[in-house]
Amino acid sequence: MSEQLRLSALLAHPENGGLRVVAGPPDTAWADVVVESTEAELPVTGGERLAVLTAVPPGTPWQQDALVRRIRDRGFSALAVPAADAFGGGTRTLAARLRLTLLHVDTPMALAKACWQLLEARDALTLAYVRKVAQSIEYHADGLPDLLRHLTSSVGHGLALIDSEGVLLEAGGHLEPDVHAAIDFTPWVDVARAGSGTAASVRVDSPSREGLRIAFFGDGLSDSQLSALAVAAEVAMPAVAARILIDEVAAVNDASVSSAVLRDFVDLRGAPDPEVERRMLERGWRTTGYHLAFRMSGRTRVDTFQLLRFITGAFAAIPADSHATTSGRGVSGWLTFSEPPTPEQVESYVVALHELHLTASRSFNVATGVGSLKNGSVGLTTSLGEAADAARLAANRSATGWFVRVDGLGLGQLLLAWTSNDTFVPAARSLLAPVYDAGHDLLVTLAAYLDHESGIAATAAALGLHRNTVSTRVQRIQELLGVDMDDPEVRLALHLACRTIRL
Amino acid sequence: MVRILEHAHLGALARGFALLGSGGGGATTMLELVLADGAGWPFDVYDIDELDPSLPCLGAAFVGSTMLLGERLPGEAPFDRLVDAAERWLGHEVPVVCSLEGGGLNGLTPLMFAGSRMVVDADLTGRAVPGLDQMSLLVDRLPGVIATCDTGAGGVMLVQTDRPVDLERVIRAATIQAGGTGGTVFAGFTVGDLLEHSIHGSTARAFELGTAFDSAAAAPLPELAAALGGRLLGHGRITAVDPDPRDPHVNAVELGGTDGQVHRLITRSETLAFVTDGRLEAAAPSIIVVLDAVTRDILEVTELALARNVVVIELAPPEWWTRRSERMRHIVPSAYGLAELDGGV
Repeated sequence: MSEQLRLSALLAHPENGGLRVVAGPPDTAWADVVVESTEAELPVTGGERLAVLTAVPPGTPWQQDALVRRIRDRGFSALAVPAADAFGGGTRTLAARLRLTLLHVDTPMALAKACWQLLEARDALTLAYVRKVAQSIEYHADGLPDLLRHLTSSVGHGLALIDSEGVLLEAGGHLEPDVHAAIDFTPWVDVARAGSGTAASVRVDSPSREGLRIAFFGDGLSDSQLSALAVAAEVAMPAVAARILIDEVAAVNDASVSSAVLRDFVDLRGAPDPEVERRMLERGWRTTGYHLAFRMSGRTRVDTFQLLRFITGAFAAIPADSHATTSGRGVSGWLTFSEPPTPEQVESYVVALHELHLTASRSFNVATGVGSLKNGSVGLTTSLGEAADAARLAANRSATGWFVRVDGLGLGQLLLAWTSNDTFVPAARSLLAPVYDAGHDLLVTLAAYLDHESGIAATAAALGLHRNTVSTRVQRIQELLGVDMDDPEVRLALHLACRTIRL
Repeated sequence: MVRILEHAHLGALARGFALLGSGGGGATTMLELVLADGAGWPFDVYDIDELDPSLPCLGAAFVGSTMLLGERLPGEAPFDRLVDAAERWLGHEVPVVCSLEGGGLNGLTPLMFAGSRMVVDADLTGRAVPGLDQMSLLVDRLPGVIATCDTGAGGVMLVQTDRPVDLERVIRAATIQAGGTGGTVFAGFTVGDLLEHSIHGSTARAFELGTAFDSAAAAPLPELAAALGGRLLGHGRITAVDPDPRDPHVNAVELGGTDGQVHRLITRSETLAFVTDGRLEAAAPSIIVVLDAVTRDILEVTELALARNVVVIELAPPEWWTRRSERMRHIVPSAYGLAELDGGV
């Protein structure tokens, strides 16, 4: 018979009757298998075959020794019997010494069936796998990982969703990197081997994601097992592809709902609202405790949903209760602590957020702002606001790598950032309009005068003018604006307006 | 030919009977001490054909726990009451004494009678055995054999039966009543009966074995085995002692052989079989001697403890047993319910 029955393939078979290696050579193959109830019924010449006995062997060590001896003397190279795991050290040593692979099996008939499938009935093996795939699709899955778990527990081999970079999701084991490297991503069906690791993979036709494959994998699977598993993967593939799509739709929907909740919360500005509170708690968002907010917004157009997915995926690296959702043209998020973190801890979290920003920058054109640590419901709103302001600033700060943290800002900068919004700029324009209309020189003089603490001499020196010229201009500005420049309130308003206009 | 046993021969004789004990039969030390202090040396030991076949004969032995015998010392004349009872029942004196069990301490027991009766060099087993129904006279179903034994507190019991197993069970029960150990005396047979129904020359064999052992004890193992006329079965370290799941008296002692073999000694009250790598190498009635590989002490089965380094030597079985298959039935391992161990001869 050309097809060999490998021990590794039998061990990898999900229904091998509880087969375990007890002693003897672990890597071995046989041309055939003989199944009998007792040793006496076995053929006299074993011929390097596997002997499976269904009756429980004798209980005394010398009888077990004798059984091992006689099986080997008949030429069999392996023996599978029930209760072999109770064989003592001496019998195990003897089996190894005689080069007889001693196997324990709970249900010998199941092992016999597995041998038959591997040796002679590949179609039966394939059909058994396909039926199991069909059975697992029948059950409700919460998501793609759940579906993969269903499939793997039903089929009995590990299952991984992979792309050419690596494993995206896996269940029922770990797909070794060398096996992954051996998988060819071009063909529809591929069978890969690397060392003892084996995998049968099929391309996933998904409209949203390209270059995906699902792979059934296991140690030491034989060719017949792999080709059967490839068919099983082909059958499972549409379910996986559909699930990817369903999960994506569900995730987009979820993001838009959570975005709305956050917007409602921010709009309340810390005022208590039981309805919003309830919706936030449903999402696991606590307003009590201490919060450190951040915002990552696109400097150019970014797919906020993809960005959110990336960020939530990267949250695993940050050891804190972390949340995020899409908001406008970016993603807002925050870390929540029930106890106030120490300044060192806060710093480490900011570093982690900076790392997050750096990794995100590789795939998305983003600017990130981080707020300060604040307490309670109002604090969360404040921190989120700060983060938004900082992100807005960061969008113009290539020097800081498009990353700005509020605690690291001058208050003036923040004020300035705040005044550069849509409501203040027109107001500033109209306030300064008379001066603006009268000529550029007056505006420059006013700005310099306010910058130099209303000092005529300093202003003149800065502008390279005669002090009389400056004093005349100031007087004229005062007339044009019709305000009292000695009033500090007036001076502040004018000063900010000048800065805003200049921007 | 009359053999004259000198006082100086006692040690070698005891060693010989210890070897014939096949790991059982009890330590000879106690009887060595009793006999060493006794009077009447040197002793005469007669071969069977030197005595008138019509002379009545008796056999004596200690039965029960041989370990208890070391704790509860036998009295000055432990067999007197038993012999008196037997003679009264038979109605005549019994002038000849033989051994019941030609292995272990009972090999020396007839010498306790040397001052008063003729000691004949014959015994009923040729090795140590656990059951009284394994005595050659009973195995051959010789009629008229009676037995007396201690029942404790000076009591004596006499058993006459045609069913050997009754004799074994009743005396065993009486011995338990007597505190776990006691004496027993067989009578009702003659020297002539011993010709066909006993093992001849055990004392001579023990003396030869003991002398050979004493001279070769320090020699290399193959040399020692050859000196004893035996076969070296194996040498190894005890790696496991597995009690039999069905019979708590049976142990399988696993030896890790010096060349990697897996040896097993199957023991009950004596060593019964020796298996190497799943193949039966020796079995009762062969005498399987276990020696400490370092000190060359002759070991009893109770001394086979984990990690002890031991040597196993097979000595030829008494030919009386192997001559007939119905005799073998009473002595091979399957007589004790142990399967797959017969046929080691």
